[in-house]
Amino acid sequence: MGLSSKTSEKIAFSLLILATLTVVGFVLIILGYIISNGYGTIDIEFLTQAPNRMMTQGGIYPAIVGTIALIIGSMSVALPIGIMAAIYLNEYAGETRTTWLIEMAINNLAGTPSVVFGLFGLALFVKYFGFGPSILSASLTLALLILPIIIRSTEEALITVPKEYRDSSLALGVSKWQTIRYVVLPAAIPGIVTGSILSIGRVAGETAPILFTGAAYFLPRLPDSIHSQFMALPYHLFVLATAGTNIAKTRPIQYGTALVLLLIVLGLNIVAVLIRRHYRNKLKI
Amino acid sequence: MTEAIQNVSQPQIEVENLNLWYGEKQALKNISMQIPKNSVTALIGPSGCGKSTFIRCLNRMNDLVKNCRIEGRVLIEGKDIYGPDVDVVDLRKNVGMVFQKPNPFPMSIYDNIAYGPRIHGVNKKDLDGIVEQALRSAAIWEETSDRLKSPALSLSGGQQQRLCIARTLAVKPRIILFDEPTSALDPISTSRIEELIMNLKKDYTIVIVTHNMQQAARISDYTGFFLMGELIEFGQTRQIFHNPQERSTEDYITGRFG
Repeated sequence: MGLSSKTSEKIAFSLLILATLTVVGFVLIILGYIISNGYGTIDIEFLTQAPNRMMTQGGIYPAIVGTIALIIGSMSVALPIGIMAAIYLNEYAGETRTTWLIEMAINNLAGTPSVVFGLFGLALFVKYFGFGPSILSASLTLALLILPIIIRSTEEALITVPKEYRDSSLALGVSKWQTIRYVVLPAAIPGIVTGSILSIGRVAGETAPILFTGAAYFLPRLPDSIHSQFMALPYHLFVLATAGTNIAKTRPIQYGTALVLLLIVLGLNIVAVLIRRHYRNKLKI
Repeated sequence: MTEAIQNVSQPQIEVENLNLWYGEKQALKNISMQIPKNSVTALIGPSGCGKSTFIRCLNRMNDLVKNCRIEGRVLIEGKDIYGPDVDVVDLRKNVGMVFQKPNPFPMSIYDNIAYGPRIHGVNKKDLDGIVEQALRSAAIWEETSDRLKSPALSLSGGQQQRLCIARTLAVKPRIILFDEPTSALDPISTSRIEELIMNLKKDYTIVIVTHNMQQAARISDYTGFFLMGELIEFGQTRQIFHNPQERSTEDYITGRFG
């Protein structure tokens, strides 16, 4: 063949680094664009006031509160259920046909378009269970959306825990559950936290699942319980950019909203990274 | 054939006609053996002969292997450990195991030793004493007493293995199984572990699987030679090494195969 191994090495390396630079480049462009356009809008008032004058002025406080409520609500449902399901599948279930079917179902769930989750949430939580359009319905819908991510990443984290840890714990007369609780799970926490980071990003950013399940076009007040409707940052952004009263006039608010959304996700990611690092250091030498 | 062991009042471990299959493949064939209390028994034989599989029957670690089927009886202190009313967790408290690769948990030295006792509900104020005693018995107290809070993984390989032995001792078993405990260690660490095992014999019954025939000759009272899933010969170590009854035992010991 024509190419020497040296040349092909060079070409492969260049292509790989080019691909990486492309990705990084686009991220930087998007970030830079949003930051430069949204930076001027953000001040204390913007963060603490409700929108007013037909959403052309004021802040986005209710939407920030709504998004944080969704994150807390959906994570507190999806994390425990997802982690428990992953423990069952990875540690207890064994490789049967049923397990295979469950794994397939989870994979398919992960690939389901979010608008389908929205409609499903509308049918099940809003209508059938009668929760109405509310933080509760939307959180449960988002919880379903992120369950596969959490299960998948937890399973992967559990798989990487060395078999030796389990064996030596069991050999000390420690039961299987105690072994999981005191040896396997602590070693898997960094991986589980990584999955949670991804999920938080999804919850904060998704629009379609909350569209049918409780997100409001505009609310002058904060939600007062989990049964209230709510505003959320991504939907607010969508509303301002497509259906607002004066799209051109609200442009700075749009960028400001996008930037706040980014900052919230970034902030939560940093917290998660710190948690992960804390546990990694604890496990390391 | 298997040589009966003389002057055994009451064997600690009695194995009767043990057969084991992994799926279709039979890995142990009709093994019978009696292991006396406070002795060291070495199991030798070439790779894949079933010696590790056998030792894992004694604390039922093979329960964790899929498609593993066992027939026959294993009596420990007269009780069949495969009987219907046996609690595997309790069994493993009595029959500890040290593995081939040193495998401390990713915790501090102290927490590694305290792990078993803590879970078994030992009172917090008794833990310090148990940890110290276990580390002393495993001959690693001197090296670790001033850094009990440091990570166990910062110890050397040989120290880690002695830590694993201490971890096993802390649960206060009566029998300790060693599955090739020195095969990942350097000669100096190996001799320290061998010395330790000979000392532990006073208080524990020890069964050790080893690749190293010199090791078996050095530290054991009884030796069993396994070949292709069968126990070819079992008896006093001196006799197995100096006057083997079976041709294949002699061939293996003299290095003609394996």
